[in-house]
Amino acid sequence: MAKIIGLPKLSPTMEEGTLVTWNKKEGDTIDVDDLLAEVETDKATMEFRSFDKGVLLKILVEEGQTLAPDTPVAIMGTPDENIDALMAEVSKTGATAATESAPAEPLPVETTTAEKATPQASSNQTTTAPQNAQNPGKVIASPLVRRMAREQNIDLSNVRGSGDHGRVIKRDLANITPNTSKPNTHHVPLPGIQPMGVGPDQKEPVSQMRKTIARRLTESKRDIPHYYLTVDVDVAPLIRARAEINAELEGQGLKISLNDLLIKACAVSLARQPDVNVSFHGDHIVRHQRVDISVAVAIPDGLITPVVRNANLKGVLQISQEVRELAKRAREKRLKPEEFTDGTFSISNLGMFGIDHFTAVINPPEGAILAVGQVREEPTIQNGELVAGKRMRMTLSCDHRVIDGAAGAQFLAVLRRHLESPTTLLL
Amino acid sequence: MLEEMRLDENIVLMGEEVGYYQGAYKVTQGLLEEFGSDRVVDTPIAEAGFAGIGIGAAMVGLRPIIEFMTWNFSFVAFDQIVQNAAKLYQMSAGQLQVPIVFRGPNGAAKQVSSQHSHAVEAFYTHVPGLWVCAPATPRDAKGLLKAAIRDNNPVIFLEGETLYGIKGEVPEVEEDEIIPIGKAAVAREGTDATIVTWGSPYYTSLAAAERLAGAGIECEIIDMRSLRPLDMETVLQSVRKTNRCVVVHEHWPYAGPGAEIVDGIQRDAMDHLDAPILRVTGQDVPMPYATNLEENVLPTEARVEEAVKQVCYRQ
Repeated sequence: MAKIIGLPKLSPTMEEGTLVTWNKKEGDTIDVDDLLAEVETDKATMEFRSFDKGVLLKILVEEGQTLAPDTPVAIMGTPDENIDALMAEVSKTGATAATESAPAEPLPVETTTAEKATPQASSNQTTTAPQNAQNPGKVIASPLVRRMAREQNIDLSNVRGSGDHGRVIKRDLANITPNTSKPNTHHVPLPGIQPMGVGPDQKEPVSQMRKTIARRLTESKRDIPHYYLTVDVDVAPLIRARAEINAELEGQGLKISLNDLLIKACAVSLARQPDVNVSFHGDHIVRHQRVDISVAVAIPDGLITPVVRNANLKGVLQISQEVRELAKRAREKRLKPEEFTDGTFSISNLGMFGIDHFTAVINPPEGAILAVGQVREEPTIQNGELVAGKRMRMTLSCDHRVIDGAAGAQFLAVLRRHLESPTTLLL
Repeated sequence: MLEEMRLDENIVLMGEEVGYYQGAYKVTQGLLEEFGSDRVVDTPIAEAGFAGIGIGAAMVGLRPIIEFMTWNFSFVAFDQIVQNAAKLYQMSAGQLQVPIVFRGPNGAAKQVSSQHSHAVEAFYTHVPGLWVCAPATPRDAKGLLKAAIRDNNPVIFLEGETLYGIKGEVPEVEEDEIIPIGKAAVAREGTDATIVTWGSPYYTSLAAAERLAGAGIECEIIDMRSLRPLDMETVLQSVRKTNRCVVVHEHWPYAGPGAEIVDGIQRDAMDHLDAPILRVTGQDVPMPYATNLEENVLPTEARVEEAVKQVCYRQ
């Protein structure tokens, strides 16, 4: 008995999806759980697997079409089955799908300038050591090594080459760790200059992710009465704690970051100040009995917030490993929907870009988000003495409908205490 | 040839000694007996003449196979092949097709000296309008020859003179296996260096790869099988994996398909190269007669081994 297969809702927030690739063609025999197609939803490219068994009799939509959930995309049944009746049904209901599919045709994009710009941009980044700027002898490295150096931010001037004429070759990089000595924010490498004034402005289609970001953040800023609380924290103790932990982990090739400690501290603070661990839903308020921290991760063409579940109950090392794994898969667009939804509190950290202070937009339905700046080396007064201090500014954005100023402020006070005295996290 | 001639009566065979003598290398054994002297034609020693007759016959509907007793003798027919076979389709704006196969043994045999030891692929791959095949294994020779006979373009089919004695499984007639022209094969998988080769140096490369495996270097061997069109995609895929490449061929080093392959790699896999691409070629001299000298002019296992070690920086 032939039936119409509709586009499933592949993520909880999916309002439309783009059918990127058909993995089966008409006439193919399909088993339960066979991969039918790949669908780009608002946050990720998802696998669309078959719930049914049979033969794929008809494909109704072309690759590249953007569709609402339940739009008929295919007809399955037994071989050579008559599907005229179903086709008639589809053409009746198909009208809605057709209007949805308007963006399928890519907008004409003027690509010539962009394409030309890319090689220039990358050649500007070719690694040449500063000392060689005055030195006519330049680093000799194989093209492969140069590419690896570009990608992993390795400074080749310090690598001894074992190839002919001292050429740096692949095996010479085996023992080099990428230069993670965080680019001092005052020395951010300048990106190459794109040629400007040489062509018309470019239009590009809005991706599913961009649409979701636009819709959700507009809703948030429009509907949620944000207010902001800022503290400036002494993070010297936290940095010492990180150094101690990392010294302990060194033998295992592991490392934690300040952000990992921050996630832990926020989670513990939320458990101590649950008034901030809440969501406003119009006619009711949800007081979460779990602490799930959403961590904003920048990815090509957007951002996503993978969630570290029950972060208050996890060790910092475990948090660190989870975040690393989630961020990696986020950049590959391979997160499952349940991995980036349903957090209870968000952290957004722009410190690595040298930002001192910013305010973040709440990630609904969460009640608050913490915006974290960079560590600043600054003169600080300690016990009446002027000392070289390390400071970090953080701003909490709260939903005033559900978190009042005093609750938000108390939470920040608790968080500050944990950060300035990390041993209290053991309590 | 036998299988194809049974399928299509337009296929005719011409060449020196292909009939009564059944081929200088016995490649055409039994064909005269089965197909008669209308379809298996013994020619005088006149390559320019019978190559030209074949091209003319192809223009008007036959599908000739022209055998050169060796490719060294094709030079007197060079004019016919380059000026007519390769160009008539273009010059007639597609009105004339030349579905012809020129085939015969290629490369050095043993002690046949400078005039009879040419690996001619560099001459013929240079010409747009010709396909060039150079199989190494019996199976590829069969499948590619079938593809060449069925192709509507002139095909230069280079059989390794020293490879006629190689034994190997070939598919049965019912299988009708066609090896497409322009598709290389990964003959051996490896991770450390890619060896690109074809024809008889394929066997030199295989032997060198086995010895290198003993030294902990795993070579991937790409057997090009066809030299025009060139299957660069298979080569590039391998080089992107191994980051190193050695091209091994019998023809002289100056220009030719070996250089062409190197050019393609540097252009499309530049950022994957960890070492300059090396070539192991026939030496840049006319072939000497003396055995000990001849051995050193041809690509040897030792030279392949040395080149692979060099690209792996293992010396």
